[in-house]
Amino acid sequence: MSALTLERIAKNYGEVETLKGIDIALESGEFLVLLGSSGCGKSTLLNIIAGLAEPTSGDVRIGDRSVVGVHPKDRDVAMVFQSYALYPNLTVARNIGFGLEMRHVPAAEREKAVREAAALLQIENLLDRKPAQLSGGQRQRVAIGRALVRRPKIFLFDEPLSNLDAKLRMEMRSELKRLHQMLKTTVVYVTHDQIEAMTLATRIAVMRNGVIEQLDRPEAIYNRPATLYVATFVGAPPMNLLSATTTPEGLSIAGLETPLALRHGLEAGRPVTLGIRPEALGLAARETALAFHAELAELTGPELVVTGTVGGQKLVASLPPASGVSPGDRATLFAAPEAFHLFDPATGLRLNRDR
Amino acid sequence: MSSTWLTTRAWLLMLPLLAVMIAVIGWPMAETVRLSFTDAKLVGLTGHFVGLDNYAKILSGSNFRGTLSTTAFFAIVSVGIEMVLGVLAALLLNQQFYGRTLLRALMILPWALPTIVNATLWRLIYNPEYGALNAALTQLGLLGEYRSWLGEPGSAMAALILADCWKNFPLVALIALAALQSVPRDLIAASLVDGASALNRFRFVILPYLAGPLMVALVLRTIEAFKVFDIIWVMTRGGPANSTRTLSILVYQEAFSFGRAGSGASLALIVTLMVTLLALAYGALVRKAAGSAA
Repeated sequence: MSALTLERIAKNYGEVETLKGIDIALESGEFLVLLGSSGCGKSTLLNIIAGLAEPTSGDVRIGDRSVVGVHPKDRDVAMVFQSYALYPNLTVARNIGFGLEMRHVPAAEREKAVREAAALLQIENLLDRKPAQLSGGQRQRVAIGRALVRRPKIFLFDEPLSNLDAKLRMEMRSELKRLHQMLKTTVVYVTHDQIEAMTLATRIAVMRNGVIEQLDRPEAIYNRPATLYVATFVGAPPMNLLSATTTPEGLSIAGLETPLALRHGLEAGRPVTLGIRPEALGLAARETALAFHAELAELTGPELVVTGTVGGQKLVASLPPASGVSPGDRATLFAAPEAFHLFDPATGLRLNRDR
Repeated sequence: MSSTWLTTRAWLLMLPLLAVMIAVIGWPMAETVRLSFTDAKLVGLTGHFVGLDNYAKILSGSNFRGTLSTTAFFAIVSVGIEMVLGVLAALLLNQQFYGRTLLRALMILPWALPTIVNATLWRLIYNPEYGALNAALTQLGLLGEYRSWLGEPGSAMAALILADCWKNFPLVALIALAALQSVPRDLIAASLVDGASALNRFRFVILPYLAGPLMVALVLRTIEAFKVFDIIWVMTRGGPANSTRTLSILVYQEAFSFGRAGSGASLALIVTLMVTLLALAYGALVRKAAGSAA
């Protein structure tokens, strides 16, 4: 039995189709990240799971119970918001225990649960403060604590780290990972941050225009993106895209004289979009080579990000700083055959026959 | 440029305004204080210095105390009703429904009317011979014969309070409605997921955002109600049998109807002092409320 099942979920706001048939089955203990840019429908989907919005059609099941039309409080879910959404005139302790208080849990039991959650989140010393006296990171810990004490079937997170500064965001990310590993909870987590998605998720659903483009484990999303959109959304700097045509032995890249040797299993003469991740390119000799003309080199610290052209088409490569490539240099870049992703330029779908 | 010159220039620039303010506020105020220590009549305004006699007479007389309690009754009851009605109206108008914008605009209308117009309107409604209230109540079978609503001490105050509430609850509703828009949507959503009932949601989620602005509305309305004059003057002139006579009416009667400028001035200063104290107390409350909500 799945912990959460979404079946053909559609949501229309007037003429606008925000969600167009979403299917997800989530096992207990999974950490699902809904990833996409703003307006893709990920928050709407989360609200539908929470019961804060109702789907136009489709079914939501928590465990084996359909919860469509069930009030949020009766769904056994807890939610953490981007804005923390703490009750401003209640202390931290009462904020954390609010859900239990509203459910008439006896005070002693409530206090014990609050203490446990606070200990887990290392905010025991803040229990008597008001939200206004807390930092952003502390507030988000309180909000997570408020969800934890309820021991719900499903935790819902709506961009919980987006309001934090970069350092704190990384800290809280590890914290969430630690909590999930320890508590083995079932989580649905909405974000537009691909790093959060990659690091936290057991599975990622990349969403775009109300549909799921790909639902898979993080490494599969990264290594075998199902569509051009997924390929360019995940990864920084984003994947390079080159126009090419298939030949019997490989690929002919537009603007490049020598064709690329690559086994692709596609009929010859077919136009494709070739995707290569900047970090998959290197100077060490490998199977496949690309003649590269460097134009700009940016040192980020651990990497030297070199922008240039391959046959007149733009290409970015993340190289070791020691490679010493500088603007004006001509270099040969190498990559392993599995680093070449082929997409249909018209549909954006992946063409590689994956092993 | 030296700072003394800057200061001097600032004062020079403000001088014309200061002169006007002294002429229209400062001097009359000083005159009022001076008159309050004399037995001056309205005609001539010359009188003898009588020290604190006026104050002593007013504070020990039953007229003042009776009027003070009438004023307090009017202020507390009408402001209380306005606050409750205003918040309820705001909660209603904050819901999502068809025609909401129209209703929001309509609600402002009573408040947009000049007080004199509102008072005249209600005097017509309460008219003992052809008033709409009498007609409505008798036609509904709730009233046997026409009554003089403003002519009977028992009903005049209630009728006045109703007219005042009708005019002023929209102000409270407007302020409360604006405050309601500032309640974060996420907070409402969180309380839904946490399982808070409608009453608890109001108490823990909405009220914290409503308290500060409502306090401001309370201050404004109480001070206005405490020095109420125009609506009463138009509708009842303080009658019948002084049952609707408030402090401002008393001041007017003392100074202008009876021509006793001296004691009228003392009375006016007492009322001013009371309103000032009220404003100061409320000011402290507002600052406290603002501090806790932040």
